[in-house]
Amino acid sequence: MRRTLDTGNAAITEGAIIAGCRVFAGYPITPATEIAENMSRRLPQVGGYYLQAEDELAALHICIGASLGGLKAMTATSGPGYILYADPYGWAIGSEIPVVIVNAQRVGPVSGITGAPGQGEFYLSRYPTQGGNFETIVLAPNSVQEAFTLTVEAFYLAERFRTPVTLLADQLVTDGWETLILPETEEEIQAMGLKVIPRRINEGPEFYPATDEIDIPPVVLGHNTGAACSDWTPTAEGYDTEEVEWQHKHAYRLIYKIRNHKDLITRYEAYFLEDDPEVILVSYGSPSRVVKSAVKAAREKGLKVGGLRLISLWPFPDEIFTKTAKYLSVELNYDGQLVREVQRAMPKGSEVHFMGKCGELPTVAELMELIEALLKGQPLKAKPWEMEAW
Amino acid sequence: MDYLATKYLRPRKIPSTACSGCGLGQIHKKVVKAIDELGLDIGDVIWGTGIGCAGRQTFATWKGDNFAGTHGRVYALATGLRLALPPDKKIILTVGDGDAFGIGFNHLLNCARRNVDLTIIVCDNLGYMSTGGQYGWTTPEGYRTDSSPYGMWEPNWMQGGRDVLNILREAGATFLARHTSIEGQEAVESIKKAILNKGFSLVHMPYPCVTNFAERALGSRRPAVMYRWFKERTIKLNEKVDEKALGDIYFRTGIYHDASNSRPEFAETLRSRVAEIQRRFR
Repeated sequence: MRRTLDTGNAAITEGAIIAGCRVFAGYPITPATEIAENMSRRLPQVGGYYLQAEDELAALHICIGASLGGLKAMTATSGPGYILYADPYGWAIGSEIPVVIVNAQRVGPVSGITGAPGQGEFYLSRYPTQGGNFETIVLAPNSVQEAFTLTVEAFYLAERFRTPVTLLADQLVTDGWETLILPETEEEIQAMGLKVIPRRINEGPEFYPATDEIDIPPVVLGHNTGAACSDWTPTAEGYDTEEVEWQHKHAYRLIYKIRNHKDLITRYEAYFLEDDPEVILVSYGSPSRVVKSAVKAAREKGLKVGGLRLISLWPFPDEIFTKTAKYLSVELNYDGQLVREVQRAMPKGSEVHFMGKCGELPTVAELMELIEALLKGQPLKAKPWEMEAW
Repeated sequence: MDYLATKYLRPRKIPSTACSGCGLGQIHKKVVKAIDELGLDIGDVIWGTGIGCAGRQTFATWKGDNFAGTHGRVYALATGLRLALPPDKKIILTVGDGDAFGIGFNHLLNCARRNVDLTIIVCDNLGYMSTGGQYGWTTPEGYRTDSSPYGMWEPNWMQGGRDVLNILREAGATFLARHTSIEGQEAVESIKKAILNKGFSLVHMPYPCVTNFAERALGSRRPAVMYRWFKERTIKLNEKVDEKALGDIYFRTGIYHDASNSRPEFAETLRSRVAEIQRRFR
């Protein structure tokens, strides 16, 4: 093992290389630029290709093209680039092309504040393209080390599910410096619990079977398999069709290959959930670091508080919301995104509350204040981050 | 069935889904003929398409591997694919005028700049005909379409001293030709040269649309009217004519630019640079 001090950007780069990524196409954008820079330096050393694309549309299309040719590929961006991925993202979902997409979330809307953390693309990562009829897979690291492991994981899931996987990070995770432990041998990779599967080739003639099965090799061009893949609704052989029956089959596959194998995707951390918490804080990404500290501090004071830290965001892990409690969603936005899913997933009799911040993390003191108020049944003080409707 | 179709195309996709009287089949056949005359096998060519008449009607007709990209982005997609495929595999794209010269023009120019080894056949029906016949970026100035009911008054890429092929040449393309679909073997020869160039090749091929273009612009769906219009406007590059006297759009046909194999190919450059760096770090 190699122990270093590095950024989330470097961790993602090394994770991708270990996962077998050999093509990176990107477009410079704060705070994901360093992933591109690291890739431009590291990929050629391992026989991979770095390309700077003319825009984000091209960046993800180049990645998909490379993946379609049999090479594992990744791109990285922030919000303003992530929205431009909409076009190729849909193509990759529909044609079932494995690819990994990193979004280092910053403050929005639009260009917003470039060098500060935000969490504005929670829903966009669920609906990154038009048309519906699909599920997405989204993972959210909260540390440099986890940025590394989840990148490897993202490639693994992308191959198994034949779909794009988004690593939804934020500026603090990608720009932040922390201890990073990197495996150096096959044994060490395995010892860390990391799984890597090489690209397999679909030999046809059923490239798009109407089934929820996973582990079906993706279409790879150049092997004369007679493959056909496109943006149109495909028949099993990949022919474009206008028949509604095939659209049903295709939609079924895109939705249920993920829904019916959710257990392979869902990851989370629970704090004091079995100790009768009356208040449960829900979070993901960098704010979850503060939330964990606040929950621990509250427990030390004897307060009945628990925490849920989501590591996989989509498909949303409804099944982990089993406790009837007062839920507090802590997010890096003021409009409240995660809180809506919490409200939907929580058991009957629960309450839901929201704390939003943006560009900076909440403090333990701020969270403690809210926890105490919720435990006493007091209304939360009217502050900009408190949405009355919640 | 045509011997070329039997050899290279999928029976399932014959007859074509194009309208009767459409000129797209003339282009499709010329591309397949060029492939045949070069002695290429089904496994040697990966056939890609875009969206619209040209994309939808040629997609998955090839017996080998096929793909269709999103509208205008197939050039970026093919750039990634080019990196992953062995250099001897040919990537041939049949795309429309809207795809290449409209929504995808940025990506097309960047492909030319990089000199990516692709053969791009722009099947140009003079506008957006698949969606019912709106004007595009090669629609003749003054002509009526569904979205230019008073005549198209936007400058196009073809008239007023502009030529889209000049822009592509400046961008770094290494083979450029123009032929109308009604031409014969000379078009096939140009497509062959385009395929043989290890670099960015583009053949611009205007073709007749009788259903939508002819109906609005010429007031008739009779193929003879549309084909005569094309014949009158197909003029060889070396042919001497009084261009001013023509007073309308016309298509100068032939090879515009042949710098085949004169610039390093993009994927090849990347491969050799990466191999060199990899050796150093081993």
